[in-house]
Amino acid sequence: MSRVRVTAPPTSPPTPMRGTSRALESREAAQDSEVGQVFVRSLIRSQLRLALVVAGGFLLILAAFPLILVVVPGLAATRIAGIPFGWLLLGVGIYPVIGLSAWLYVRTAARNEARYRDLAGDQ
Amino acid sequence: MNAGVALTAVAVVSLATAIIGFYGLRISRTTGDFYVASRTVRPWWNASAIGGEYLSAASFLGVAGLILLSGTDALWFPVGYTAGYLMLLLFVAAPLRRSGAYTIPDFTESRLSSRTVRRVTSLVVVMVGWLYIVPQLHGAALTIQIATGLPSWVGSVAVVVVVCITVVAGGMRSITFVQAFQYWLKLTALAVPILFIIFVLAREGAEPLSPPAVNPTDLAPAGPYQNVSLLVALLFGTLGLPHVLVRFYTNPDGQSARRTTLIVLGLLSVFYLFPTAYGLVARMYAPDLARSGQPDAMVLRLPGQLVDGMPGDLLSALVVAGAFAAFLSTTSGLVVSLAGVISQDVLGGSVRGFRLAAVVSAVVPLGFAFMTGSLALAGSVGLVFAFTASTVCPVLLLGIWWRGLTDAGAIAGMLTGAVLCGGAMIAGSMTAAGLTPAWLAQPAAWSVPAAFAVTVIVSRATAHRIPASMPRIMTRLHTPERPLATER
Repeated sequence: MSRVRVTAPPTSPPTPMRGTSRALESREAAQDSEVGQVFVRSLIRSQLRLALVVAGGFLLILAAFPLILVVVPGLAATRIAGIPFGWLLLGVGIYPVIGLSAWLYVRTAARNEARYRDLAGDQ
Repeated sequence: MNAGVALTAVAVVSLATAIIGFYGLRISRTTGDFYVASRTVRPWWNASAIGGEYLSAASFLGVAGLILLSGTDALWFPVGYTAGYLMLLLFVAAPLRRSGAYTIPDFTESRLSSRTVRRVTSLVVVMVGWLYIVPQLHGAALTIQIATGLPSWVGSVAVVVVVCITVVAGGMRSITFVQAFQYWLKLTALAVPILFIIFVLAREGAEPLSPPAVNPTDLAPAGPYQNVSLLVALLFGTLGLPHVLVRFYTNPDGQSARRTTLIVLGLLSVFYLFPTAYGLVARMYAPDLARSGQPDAMVLRLPGQLVDGMPGDLLSALVVAGAFAAFLSTTSGLVVSLAGVISQDVLGGSVRGFRLAAVVSAVVPLGFAFMTGSLALAGSVGLVFAFTASTVCPVLLLGIWWRGLTDAGAIAGMLTGAVLCGGAMIAGSMTAAGLTPAWLAQPAAWSVPAAFAVTVIVSRATAHRIPASMPRIMTRLHTPERPLATER
């Protein structure tokens, strides 16, 4: 691991701007330093990895659903409360999977951001 | 169906839409209000509004009709429409909100520092919007013709008139209220009749006319290629829909954009249970509706066919009202976002320009709708998703996640996608129905990867054109907003 000198970002006198644009400028100025960019890159990488893992997992489950119906003979026609299982699986069962993936993602993405905030706040 | 009751239902929905629009007029004053409701809309309101806007004629009428025709194969449509929002949450929601742009062309311009990219994106967005409005107007024409017996053009014209009045009066702020109201109206209008029908069938102990697995027509079922290609279109197409994206700017920050999307996923999941139920009940108790040649009308006809007398009339009227809400909400959402794009690019971004642009963006697709015949609604909307997935989606995804995107790559990618997918759509519409080869009928599986590949290759070849502002913009897209207390 190479050592980097941790310095405060160069501070310029605040320009008289109003509202969100000033907030935006200060947010970006803080990340202009070399170290700031390292943190930003690592945040982007972890968010992308998280999104790809959740998407991949969801697509695998999605592909598994019709496969189960093909592999297990008679399963598609089995009735639960008068409704064929194939219809229940694709018409109802897939939505909780979508909701669960989304909930997991939102939670973890917020956690990644909190970690970034801690790091970037310490520099 | 009782024409008087149905007409009353349509009039009530249109009136309610217009009234909420005028109510919104009193609170929207500035240009910012008109475009994005000043970014102060709460997540539940916003999520209902997104749901209201997204659930179009295809979801309300088309999906159920398609399930009646092709059974479990058609269940991929609602799954894809919902899972598209999952992809949007994963890859687009928070960064897009943090970009601070108003429209997709705003985003591509600021990300790539190029006016030309902005113009090409605007062109693509307007094409997507118009393509998407046309099936809504076809749905309105069909509904009015079946419900009241009036000539079908009345339906399309009525939708365009009500939408123009609402958008011109209130802009985005009132649209948010209108859309939120319309989600709940659509859900009620679909849920109450089918629950009542199931209750009646169960009480009478009615025997199914045919088992759900039996194909009511002799149409060939979709093969695995078509299902996969459809899913590609729906998963990646949702990312690029202009009227869906503009909604994310009404969230106060990136994290609330994610929370809003989470709620939207719940609302969509609940909604899509009902078209599925319609499809299943119709397959078992009214398979003859599949042979009428208008499967899209099944949802409108089912209550009258299975429930007799006045209750049947009232339920039919409720479904007609919900269907009309679907056409109105999706069309007005599209018109607002198109008007935003057109007025900023052509008319200088004033409120007056926005109103003029709104009328233009509603009237042009009306002309298209008169010139073209109605296809199966779910199918034609699926094609629009394929077009979006091949044009807007690669630029958006790569712009958010890849530092190497250049303006030349973005333009090349959008044009490739537009030519490939647009060409397939035109070629497909010229071959006789039923004879179109699968790869032409569902182009997404090859046109989307091609657009991505061209975007990446051309960007790599023109790497010297990566804008100097890129690191700053990437930081803005991905870093969380600070709590307000530390910003002041």
